[in-house]
Amino acid sequence: MFQATPTVPDAPTVFLLHFLGGSARAWREVVDRFGAAAQGVPLDLPGFGEDAAVRGYDVSAMADRVAESVRALAPRRWAVAGHSMGAKVAAMLARRAEDGEAGLAGLCGVITLAGSPPSPEPMAESRRESMMGWLSGPEAERRRHAEDYAEANAVALPPAARALVVEDVLRAAPEAWKAWLARGSREDCSARIGVLRTPALILAGEADEDLGPDAQRALMAPHFAQARLSVLPGAKHLLPLEAPEAVARQILAFLEAPPPAVPADYLALLGSEHTGARLRAALLARAAPDDPDYRPAALDEAGLATLRALMERVLPQPGPGRIDLAARLDQDLSEGPGDGWRHDTLPPDAEALRAALRTLDALSGDAGAFADLTADAQDALLARIAGGEGGPEAPGLLDGPQLKLWFGEVCAAAARLYVSHPAALARMGYGGVAAGGDGTPKGGFTRVGIGERDAWEPATPVESRP
Amino acid sequence: MRRHAEAEPVDAVVVGTGAGGGAVLGRLARAGLRVVALEAGPNHDPEDHVNDEAASGGLYWMQERLSGGSTPQAFGANNSGTGVGGSMLHWGAFVPRPDARDLRLFTETGQGRDWPFGLDELRPYLERVERFIGVSGPADYPWDPSRRYPLPPVPRNAPAQAMARACAALGIRATDAPAAVTSRPFAQEGGAERPACYNCGYCHQGCRNGAKAGTDNTFLPWAVAHGAEIRPGCFLHGVERDGQGRITAALYREDGVEKRQRCGALFLCAGGVETPRLLLHLGLGNSSGQVGRNYTAHVATQVWGTFETEMRPNKGYPSSLITEDMLRPGDADFAGGYLVQSLGIVPQTWADQVARGRGLWGRGLVDYLHRYNHVAGIGINGECLPCDENRLVLSDELDETGLPKPRISFGYSENERRLQAHAARFMTQLWEEAGASDIWVMERSAHTIGTCRMGPDADDAVVDPWGRSFDVPNLWICDNSVFPSAMPANPALTIMALGLRSAERFLRRS
Repeated sequence: MFQATPTVPDAPTVFLLHFLGGSARAWREVVDRFGAAAQGVPLDLPGFGEDAAVRGYDVSAMADRVAESVRALAPRRWAVAGHSMGAKVAAMLARRAEDGEAGLAGLCGVITLAGSPPSPEPMAESRRESMMGWLSGPEAERRRHAEDYAEANAVALPPAARALVVEDVLRAAPEAWKAWLARGSREDCSARIGVLRTPALILAGEADEDLGPDAQRALMAPHFAQARLSVLPGAKHLLPLEAPEAVARQILAFLEAPPPAVPADYLALLGSEHTGARLRAALLARAAPDDPDYRPAALDEAGLATLRALMERVLPQPGPGRIDLAARLDQDLSEGPGDGWRHDTLPPDAEALRAALRTLDALSGDAGAFADLTADAQDALLARIAGGEGGPEAPGLLDGPQLKLWFGEVCAAAARLYVSHPAALARMGYGGVAAGGDGTPKGGFTRVGIGERDAWEPATPVESRP
Repeated sequence: MRRHAEAEPVDAVVVGTGAGGGAVLGRLARAGLRVVALEAGPNHDPEDHVNDEAASGGLYWMQERLSGGSTPQAFGANNSGTGVGGSMLHWGAFVPRPDARDLRLFTETGQGRDWPFGLDELRPYLERVERFIGVSGPADYPWDPSRRYPLPPVPRNAPAQAMARACAALGIRATDAPAAVTSRPFAQEGGAERPACYNCGYCHQGCRNGAKAGTDNTFLPWAVAHGAEIRPGCFLHGVERDGQGRITAALYREDGVEKRQRCGALFLCAGGVETPRLLLHLGLGNSSGQVGRNYTAHVATQVWGTFETEMRPNKGYPSSLITEDMLRPGDADFAGGYLVQSLGIVPQTWADQVARGRGLWGRGLVDYLHRYNHVAGIGINGECLPCDENRLVLSDELDETGLPKPRISFGYSENERRLQAHAARFMTQLWEEAGASDIWVMERSAHTIGTCRMGPDADDAVVDPWGRSFDVPNLWICDNSVFPSAMPANPALTIMALGLRSAERFLRRS
C-alpha cells in the first residue's frame, strides 16, 4: 500500500498511526498535503484496516509492529504522528527509540493528535461498557453504531470522510476494538514512557471532550521535555479527517523548524537533584518548540517578518533547529514587566521596536522590505546603523542616533534570550544550571578555582573552546 | 509580628526596607519604639529565588525610568530592587569600607565635596554593621592593619585566582574581598542561624540559603523580633502635615486601597531615585533646590578576557578578590580613585553586556557567547564627581503608581573620563599579565547616589549631617541619596552604618 513519493533532500519520513476503528486511509488528506516536504507513511495497526487479521493488541505489541516498519524503511530522519489510540503507541515507540533500540535511530519529532495519554485514558465507564459491544451485533446495528461514532467525534465531517470512518470501523476486528477499550486504553504506561526528550507537537481539538486541550495539557504534555500544545479551533476529535489542512500545515511547520534539541545528558542534568524545581520548570518551558503560527501581539505580521529577518543576522543560530527569537521578543514586550528603564530619546519599548522595524524596511531601498535584501546587504545596512550613520528624517521613523541606541538594545535582548535557552547553555557547557537544588543543604559547588570542575558539571564542547 | 492599627499613631513610619530602612527600623524597634515599615514590593521566600536572570524579574524595580545624558545609566536589574529587603535582595554583597581620604575629597583635591564628618565618626557604625550581618574577610587587610572581620574569607574563584596571580607578578597588593556572605555558619542576632555559602554564584538573583546578608535575614527579623511591623505591597504616595509643617500621617496604597498611617516621624529610605522622586512629587523638603541634583553613580568599568583554561565564571562568590592600590594611583591625572575587584558573572547578564558593551552582533556574537566557560573579568567602582547636568527631574509621563516617571540625566565629565581611561589601562595590563587574550573594555556605571545630599548648610543640602530634613523637622532620609559624594566603596555598608547613626540621633532627640 505504501508508495514512496519524491521528496526534497533530507525530508523526514513521518509514520502516521490512526485512531480506534480507523486505518491508514484516515491520513490520506493529510499526506496529500505534505507534497515533497515530508514522506508520509500511514500504517494500519494490528486488528485494523488491511491488517484486521493481525493480532497483538496491547500498546507494546502495536509499537512492535510500527518499529518493524521503521526498520524496513530505515529512514535517516523520521517522526511519528499518532492520533488518539495511535498517540499512545507513538509515545511508546519514541521511548524505545530514545532508549537506543536497534534500528530506531533518527527520531526527530513526535506529533500527537487528540492523543490517548500514556496513563489510563479518561473515559466514562458507562460509555466504555456500551462501546465494547458495538461491533458484536448484527450488520445493521453495527453500521448504526459506526455512524454514531463518526457523528459524535467530529464537529462536521465531509461526506467522504464520514463514509471512510464508517467503512473502517466495520472492517476492524471486533476483538481489537474490544481489546483497546477493555485493556489498551487502560494500560498505565506513564512510568515506562517517562519524560521524552524528543521535540513534540501536541495537537488538540478545541471541541474535544475527554481528550481536549485540558486533558492534553494535564496528561500528555508532562511526558515531553520539549513540547508545544496547539489547539485546532472548530475541530473535535477526528482531527486528520476534520481539519486535514491545519494538521498537515502544523506537522510540516513543526518538522521544518524544530527547536534546537537539548542533548540527553544536559536534560538529565536539569532533571537531577542539582537543579531547583523552579529553575527546571523555567528552562523546560523555554525548551518548548515555538508556534510556527505565532500571532504577534506587540507587532503586526509585517513587523514580525522583519524582526525574524533581523534576528537571523543579529544572532545566527548554529542549528539544527531554531529558537524563534523574534516571536519570543514580541511576547516579552507584550506580556513582560519590561526592564525598568528606557533611553529618554526613544519612545516606549514596543513603540520603539515598531518604529525601528518600519525604519529598517524604509532603509531597504528598492527591495522595500529588509527581509527581501540579500544577507550581505542586510549586514551592510546593520553595520551602518550600529555606527550611528544616519537614518531617515521622516515622521514615524527613528533617526540615526535613535536607531543606534535601539540596535544595541535589540542585540542585547536577542543575546539574553539565546543564552536563556537550555540548548544554547548546553552548547556553552554551562554548569550553573546545576548550582544547587531545593531543600537543605542545596549542594552547590566545591571546586571553584581555575580549571576546576565538580563531577556533575558538563564538559565544555570542543567547538566552544578558544 | 506585632500589628499596629492605622489610626493609632506610631513613633515612626519607615519607607523602604533595604539597607537604610532595615537598619533604621531595627534600631528604633530595639529601643522600644512603635515602628511600621512600608515596603512597595512583596515578601519573598528565599526558596523561591531562581538561579536565572530572566526568572528573577520580581526582585527588580521595574517601574520605567527615563535615562538620558551622554552616558545613560541602566536601571532595573542594574541597581534597583523591590520587595522586603529592597535592593539588598540582589546586591553583590561586596563591602569594602570607605577610605578616610574619600570623605574629604574637596579638602584634598579642591574637587568634589567633603562629607560633613570624617571616617572616625563613621567607623564604629561600620564595625557594628560588619559584626551584626557577618562579613567575611581576610585576617590581615593590607590597607588597614587594625581591621578585623568576624568571618574568614570566602573561597577565591577562578577570576579571583587569575587576578591574584597577575597582581603578585606586577607588585600590586591584593587580598580576599570583604564580602557580606557567610564563609561558615553564622549565628545571626535576632534571626535564624545562616548556613555557609554554597558557591552557586547567583548572588544577584537572590540568595537561596540566606548565606548572603540582606536586610531580609538580618536587620528585618531583628526589627520584627523587637516589635516592628513590616507591611509589604504598600506604596507611599503622600503625607499629611500639621500647621507647623510636621508630618502627621503617611498616605499609601495597598492592593489599590488607599490607607493612612498616623506617625510621629517619617524616614524615607527608598533609594537614590525613589526618594527624590517622592519629594519632588510632593513638593517637600526642597527649599535648598538640591533635591534631585548632584546625581552621581560609580564609574564601573570592566575588562574581560579569554583564558586557555576553563574559568567557569558562574561559580563561587563573584567578587572574591580586591585591591585598594588604585584609590590614589601615583600617576593619576584625576581626583579620587577606584577599587578593583575580580568578577564572576552569570550567562544572561554576561550576554547582555557583550552585546551592549562590546557591540558584537552576528556570527561574532554567537561564537563569543559560546566561549563563556573560558572568560573572566575584573572591574572597578570609581569616584564620580557631581556636576550640574547630572540630575533627576520629573518627566511628564506617569507610571502605574500614578506618579511622574523620573528622568535621570547622567554623563561623565573630564574627571570620570580620565579615571576610566586609567582604570582600563590598569586592568588591561593585569589581564595581559594573567594570560588573557581577546581582552576588551566594557564601559558601565552603577549605583544611584547623591540626590538628597547631606551637609551642614540648609541652603545647599537637603538633610543635616544626621539625615534630618532642614525643612520638615520630623522627616529623615536614610539611603544613598544623602551621600555628599560617591566614594569608590560600594554604598550599602555605609548606608546601613548611616541608618544606625540616624536612628540613634533620632532616639537621643525624642
